[in-house]
Parts: sequence; structure tokens; C-alpha cells
Amino acid sequence: MGDRMMKKWGRERIETCIIRVLRIAGICFFLLIVAFPFYWMIASSLKSLEELLLTPAGLGIDVARIRLDAYREVLFEHGFLQYITNSAYVSVITVLLSLTLATIGGYAVTRLRFRGQAFMSYSILVIYMFPAIVLVIPLYVVFSRMGLRDSMHVLILVYLAQTLPVALYMLRSYFRSLPVEIEYAGLTDGCTRLGVIRRIIIPLSAPALAGVALYTFMIAWNEFLFAFMFLDSPEKFTLSRGVVQLAGSVHLSKQLVMAASVLVTFPVVILFLVFERHLVRGLTAGAMKG
Amino acid sequence: MVEQVTKRFGGFTALSDVSIRVEDGSFCVLLGPSGCGKSTLLNIIAGLIPQDAGRVLVDGEAVDHLSPRERDVAMVFQTYALYPHMTVAENLGFGLKMRGVSKSIIRDRIEEAAQLLGIGELLKRKPRELSGGQRQRVAMGRALVRRPRLFLFDEPLSNLDARLRANVRLELKRIHGQIKGTVVYVTHDQVEAMTLGDAVVVMKAGRVHQAAPPQVIYDKPADRFVATFIGSPEMNIFSGSLVREAGRSFFKGKGFSLDLGEAAPAGEFGEALEIGIRPEDMGILPQGAPPLEAEVDLVSNIGSEIVVHARLGEEWINIRAPKDATLQPGDRVSVSITPERLHWFKNGKRA
Repeated sequence: MGDRMMKKWGRERIETCIIRVLRIAGICFFLLIVAFPFYWMIASSLKSLEELLLTPAGLGIDVARIRLDAYREVLFEHGFLQYITNSAYVSVITVLLSLTLATIGGYAVTRLRFRGQAFMSYSILVIYMFPAIVLVIPLYVVFSRMGLRDSMHVLILVYLAQTLPVALYMLRSYFRSLPVEIEYAGLTDGCTRLGVIRRIIIPLSAPALAGVALYTFMIAWNEFLFAFMFLDSPEKFTLSRGVVQLAGSVHLSKQLVMAASVLVTFPVVILFLVFERHLVRGLTAGAMKG
Repeated sequence: MVEQVTKRFGGFTALSDVSIRVEDGSFCVLLGPSGCGKSTLLNIIAGLIPQDAGRVLVDGEAVDHLSPRERDVAMVFQTYALYPHMTVAENLGFGLKMRGVSKSIIRDRIEEAAQLLGIGELLKRKPRELSGGQRQRVAMGRALVRRPRLFLFDEPLSNLDARLRANVRLELKRIHGQIKGTVVYVTHDQVEAMTLGDAVVVMKAGRVHQAAPPQVIYDKPADRFVATFIGSPEMNIFSGSLVREAGRSFFKGKGFSLDLGEAAPAGEFGEALEIGIRPEDMGILPQGAPPLEAEVDLVSNIGSEIVVHARLGEEWINIRAPKDATLQPGDRVSVSITPERLHWFKNGKRA
């Protein structure tokens, strides 16, 4: 039987079939693991407190009873509008600074020759090796003494220090893949170094820059530890800090926490979907002889 | 133009003490095998990489302290290096835009260059939508519109297929005749060098071996390297020495002896010398006979003529012969050499 099937179908076709089935099964498995908490979070945020209390394990969503009360309450009564603004401010500034510094720095270590270039280039990542928890206490002390604690700008500084190494690393490897002749062409065509960066490197690096922006934004948006340690006044809270504040508050309403969590998660997801297309596409096609 | 330029990369000396002169409006070709430093020299002239010693002069002024932007040179790269995010028209106009030339002039120049190169229909396209030959034209156009003091070409044709290369070569010659710009052109292709150059600079391992008009390079190669590098099939070189017997001079090679007649040879008797003879400067007769008798080893028919690869004494020899010569491997033939056509080399240098 097996033999006849082998003959009829051919070994290769059977293998392809098996691989296909396994692949789909694998994708489903991971999708379930990843998507279920998301689903749970969204479903819970759309229910009323009574419903949650009555059927705590209820998986389904009753379309007729969907209510956005939790969002309204979280946004307007628990100060999340402020937290979103704060988070956006901190994240966007971090992204802009990180992009600027990483572009200039990454270009410098890739193309310019200067003393200690190799050392600089390699030491970038070493900084990243320090875990945040090691740094948070000393930084807490330092910033407290300097009277800089409880400020969003200090957070920006810390996030920048956290994201810059990876941003530099990403851009450096991308810059290296750009043909140096294009820069030479720019220079002989009359650009200054900065002109080359602005008019040639940056447009060509759009995919890498999008990647760096996304990465930096995600770190800054989601970061909790430093925000928790450094921020004291509620009007300066970032989103993740706000969610914990909410979860720890006296009257625990699960749907509120879930709604807040959705508010934290979704901007990143949407950003990712928007940027995703730009991430992979190489832009240098057509520059060279090809 | 370039005076005693030296460039080292770590312990490797890419250029040592190179000096070349390019006449105004002339087409100067830097010719040499890969890795001889010719592209490095071009980049130094453009100001893209700094030299370790020496000076670069344009119109008599030193430009070493100037950035590429200020040197007013245009360069065409081997890989074309077009700006992929710009259209062809933007690529062409970029250099002028950077120099603050007004839009209407830029438009006119683009129009003019596009017409000269036959790329008028491509102006709105992006480089990735172009074929290799079209990209190459755009790369040349980008230099042309600039009207710089100096054009630099870095092997611009080496990525084209053979037929296209021949066409573009002719076109390049025509365009140069029209615009009369000063050009420094790097290539490893001797045909390009001979056909395009008003002057050819032959380089090897970071040194200039000879700088002269193409015909002089071919007829009077300055040394053994130039002699064998230029010409295809390459020049035959034999080592041996001069002897004098019964009032006549002879060149004694390995296993053969060449009668030089009464002619007083360049060199002293008894010392080690080399002679070179181009494959077309020899005659071949079907019947083997002394004094120069050779045995045919291979016959390559290249259509317009045949190249005979033969054994002369202990040496191998290439001879160009008319295509109607009916020769077979194993045939014994008689070779004739005109002494006046010989090139003499002593210690590798022309004697």
C-alpha cells in the first residue's frame, strides 16, 4: 500500500505535502499563543463590569452588549488622555533625536577615518550590554541629587541612551551596504558631506531609518522600569506607568485596566503595520551597473 | 597636472611618485592592469581621497586643499553610481542644482545632453527601469551637463557587453570631438586606450611606465612591460646576446641565431639583451629553411587573418599571417625578421 502510494504520488510530492501541513499547523499554534491574550484583552475591555463578574471565563463577545464605557472612563476620568500625550511626546522626541544622532554617528563610523574609529565602532554595542536594572538605581540617585528626577526630559535622555547603540548598529550596517561611489558622485557633483547625508544617504536609507524609528518608538512607548522609578507626579506619567497606577488603585475594575492596555498596545501595532512595507524594500536598485 | 603623487594604504604603496601631464582639451588615458593604482589616481585628482605626498594642479593652480565640490571636476564611475531615488532628469541636473544654476539653464543643459546621448525619452524614468547601456549613458550625461574643467572617467565601458562597448567608444570619441573637454580616462582595455587617447599613460604597480601618444607607445615601447602589455597577440620577446662573426652581427637566442646583417645593433657584444618583435612584423614562408626555421604548433584563425603559434629553437613565437596561408600543425616553416623592426631591451628598458 505505502509502496504503491509512493509510486503513484512520488516521494517528493508527499514530502511537500507533509511540510505544508506542518507549516500551517506551526503557524496556527504560534498564532494562538500570541493572539489569544490580545483577544482576551480586547474582549474584556469591551464588556461591562457586571458581565465580567458574572462570567469571568466567558470567551465570546456579545455584539449587542459591546460598550466603550471603559475607554471613555479611562481616557477622561483616569487621566489617560494626559498619559497618551506624555507618552507620545517622550516617544516622538526620542525617535527624532535617536534618528538624528544615529544617522550622523553611524555615517561617521562607517565612512570617515579618524583616530579611534574602530574602537568607537565596536564600543557602541558594549553600552547596550548593561542591563537596565543595573543602571536604574545609580541613575535614580544621580538624578535625584541633581534635582532632575520627575521630568519627562530625563526619561528621554535615558531612552536615548538605551536605544542609540542599537540604532547606530542598525544604521551602520545599512550604510556599509550603500555603494561608496554614490557618495563620491554626490561629492563631485558639488555636495558637502552633510549634503551627501541629507540628499543621498537619508533618502536611500529610508527602510533602515523606518526600522530604527519603529524600534526606538517601541522602546520609548513601552518602557516601564525607568518611568516607574523616575516619575512621581501623575501629570507626567507615561502610559505604561499609568496602567500600573490604574491596576494598583483601590477599586479594581478589570475592564478599565484592559482598555488602558489596549490604548498602550495599539499605537505600536498600527505603526508597525504602516511602516512594515517600508522596512524590507531595498531602495538602491538601479544605482549600479546591475 | 599631477606631480609626484604618492599614496599608501597601510603598508601597500598604491602610487609611488606618479607624475602625469594632461594638455588642455586633450584626452588622456591611464592604462594598466587591475590594481595598478590608476583608479586611485583618478580619485586623488577628484579630491575624493587624499594623497600622502605630491600635488595635483589644474590650470597651473594647486587644488590639493580644495574639496571635490570646489575642484569643478565631473566623474563617471565604473558602476555608474546613479542616484536611484531620482529620475534620469534629476540625476542629470543634480550637479548643476547643487551649484545653484538657474532652473531654465539646467533644463536646457539636460535637454542638450539628452539629445547628444539619445536618452531624451528616458528623462522621467528611474535608474532601476533602465538597461545597463542606458544607465551608462545617464552616467556620462551627468558629467556632460556640468561642463566642468576636467572630466574623469573610471572604466566607464567595462560593464557593457562587447558590441555596445564598441559603439559607445566611437560615440565617446565623437562627443569629445564636439565638446573639446579635458579628459582623464582610466581603462585596462588597450583598444579603448589606443582608439580614444591623444596620450596614453601606461601604469603598473603604482608607477608610470610610459606616457606618450598611442602610436609612440605602440612603435617605441619604453620598456618590456609596455611592449608586451600593448598589442594582441603580444610582442614576442627573446633573451640572448649579441655576437660578431665574420664582419656580421648576430643575435644568439635560445636555439636560434638571427642574422642582423651589417646593421650596428643597439648594445654591446656579449652582454645579455632581449629583443622583441611584433607578430605582424614577421614573414612566414611555407618551406622550412635556415636560418630561422620553426615548427608550427597551433594555427588560430581569427577570420581576418591567422595567428601561427610556432616553436623557434627553444622559444615559442606568435606570427600573424594572411588568412590564405595553408598551414598545419607540424609543418616546418621559414620565418623572416626585418632587423629594423626589432625592439631592443636591456635590463627591461628600451635600448
